[in-house]
Amino acid sequence: MKNTRKMFPFLLLLTFVVCPGNAWAVQSHAAPEGLYVHQLAHIFYAASMCYLFWGVRQTAFKSRGWRFLQIFCVFMVMWNVVAFTGHSLVHYIHHSDFIREAGYLSTHLQGPLTGVKFWYYFTQLDHLFSIPSFFFLYLAMKNLYRSSCEDVKI
Amino acid sequence: MTSLPMLPAILMDMAGSVVIIVLSFLSLRYAWLLIRKQPENFLWGFLFYFCLTLVCFSVSRAVGHLLKQILLILGNKEQWQVLAPFSGGFNTLLMVSLAAVSVYYHKGIEGYHAIQRKASSLKNANCKLEISANKLQQLNADLEKMVEIRTQKLSASEKKFRNFFTNSKDMVYFCDSSNRLVNMNSAGLEMLGYPMEEDQKLTLHNIFCNEEDLENYLETIVAVGFVEDLEVEFLRADRTVIYVLLSATAVFDKNRVFTGCEGIAKDLTRVRTMMEQLASSEKMASVGQMAAGVAHEINTPLGVILGYSQLMMDDFTPESEEGQSLVVIERQAKACRKIVADLLKFSRQAESARENILVNEVLTDVLAVTEHSLNMDHINVHRDFSKDEPTIIGDTEKLRQVFVNFINNAHHAMEEQGGGDLFISSHYEKESNRVVTTIRDTGHGIPEDVVAKIFDPFFTTKSVGKGTGLGLSVSYGIIQEHGGIIEVESPARGKDGKMQGTAFHVKLPAISVEQVSVNENKSDTK
Repeated sequence: MKNTRKMFPFLLLLTFVVCPGNAWAVQSHAAPEGLYVHQLAHIFYAASMCYLFWGVRQTAFKSRGWRFLQIFCVFMVMWNVVAFTGHSLVHYIHHSDFIREAGYLSTHLQGPLTGVKFWYYFTQLDHLFSIPSFFFLYLAMKNLYRSSCEDVKI
Repeated sequence: MTSLPMLPAILMDMAGSVVIIVLSFLSLRYAWLLIRKQPENFLWGFLFYFCLTLVCFSVSRAVGHLLKQILLILGNKEQWQVLAPFSGGFNTLLMVSLAAVSVYYHKGIEGYHAIQRKASSLKNANCKLEISANKLQQLNADLEKMVEIRTQKLSASEKKFRNFFTNSKDMVYFCDSSNRLVNMNSAGLEMLGYPMEEDQKLTLHNIFCNEEDLENYLETIVAVGFVEDLEVEFLRADRTVIYVLLSATAVFDKNRVFTGCEGIAKDLTRVRTMMEQLASSEKMASVGQMAAGVAHEINTPLGVILGYSQLMMDDFTPESEEGQSLVVIERQAKACRKIVADLLKFSRQAESARENILVNEVLTDVLAVTEHSLNMDHINVHRDFSKDEPTIIGDTEKLRQVFVNFINNAHHAMEEQGGGDLFISSHYEKESNRVVTTIRDTGHGIPEDVVAKIFDPFFTTKSVGKGTGLGLSVSYGIIQEHGGIIEVESPARGKDGKMQGTAFHVKLPAISVEQVSVNENKSDTK
């Protein structure tokens, strides 16, 4: 049995050598692939933040710093959701939905203002989640550092 | 509302990007400080890498957004379209990295906890080990202290018993199962007259005078385990005998096998002699009282017999038969009166004069009278009188009688063997303040069984008619009256060390300086 397992890679190699065909080694990537990967990264990122939140909860760290880190996780998940939806809504917004009278800064999202347009507009304000998120991360680190200093003093 | 201005979103995007960069760097700073403080802490390491990735992500994203807004504001849309995929790609990559880092948190924490548990367990073990080590150290210190205290106590005890052994005035000895004396203190060796040597090779057989006593001692000690207050005689190195009171204990090993004995012996020779002297004194005192009573009772009828016989002698002529009988009666009555007088002297009932006397003068007077007859019987007299002898208080006549008695006895002792030497000496014994007079002959000596009786009244070894047996009794009484003592040594040790004959040592108390001055004053007053 063991000998058969050892022999398997050699047998496979022998098969490829004996029966050659098109390799198709390099795969071509279509344009939406980058967006999909980015969106998957958001999902992965959000999931990891949930996992971190659960992990901190499980490890029973009760100090203020760890609680702030959990709040950071929550905001990050929310930001990911907003960002994910924002990226998704791009398909539902056309260039014609924007009007520009005098340069980029005068850009308006023109009506009729549908729920999708409002949601899109909201997703463009994703910093409403990311800034609090980073702020709580900052508080978490600061508190953890101070706690460690007090522990050392004790 | 017909449209929504994008300006707030643009401005928030730009400002928010800057704020995020600042906050992420501030977080990274604290994470850095945490790992600097506790580099071994896994959590701080995780947070540092997490913040570092977040910094990269925030910088990437914020820079991308700022570039986008700036380029779009400046109307360089084409340039942004070139850069946008790179910015998006980096953002994607860093988000995945962040996710990956976060995913490791849980496992890392598990590992961290496992390590913490191990560390805690190790720490506890170390603590316990340290406590045990401290206890052990304490025990060791206590043990050392205890050993030191015990050693000191042992040393003190050893010293105490060594001092007891060495300084004891009684004999202390240890002997083995073969009765060999393995240890004896200096007092014991001195008591037995052996030199102070370590290896004497003495056995109990050497020092026990009587074999029966030794057998009794050994039987008792093995059977009972001890002997108590056993009175035995020990033989000294010079073959003289001492009387000792012996107490000893047997020594047994674990198997109850006799391995030897240890004992203490007290020399009772002196005590025994004193007891004998005391008994003798009491006996002599009671005999003296009886003699005095008898003498008083006899003296009166004797005086009547003598008086009447002398009266009757006037009625008869000396040549007549009655006259002859009365002479015999008178002579015998006088002889009886002399005996009575001697008895009174012995019982110290006779009156004595009290005057200052030089013993040498008394001896000279006595020798002047007796020396001639001594020489006739080939007895040479040797004088050895000390010159600075003090005076004594006593009755010259009585002392003269004492010395005459001793010289006569010596004469009789040497007369039988056809002559000899009579040594008369006197000296002052400063320790006891006594004048010691010694009369030693080279005669046959006094048998051991007779020595104790020589001062008894009417005891004599002479044939009937040759002595009344009152000479030494009277001498004894006189010397007692003078506060002195008589010591008998037979056989006596001569100056040449030869044991021969008998020596009488008369020890009379010398007069003190105060008494001399008082007496001189009295004589002056008279």
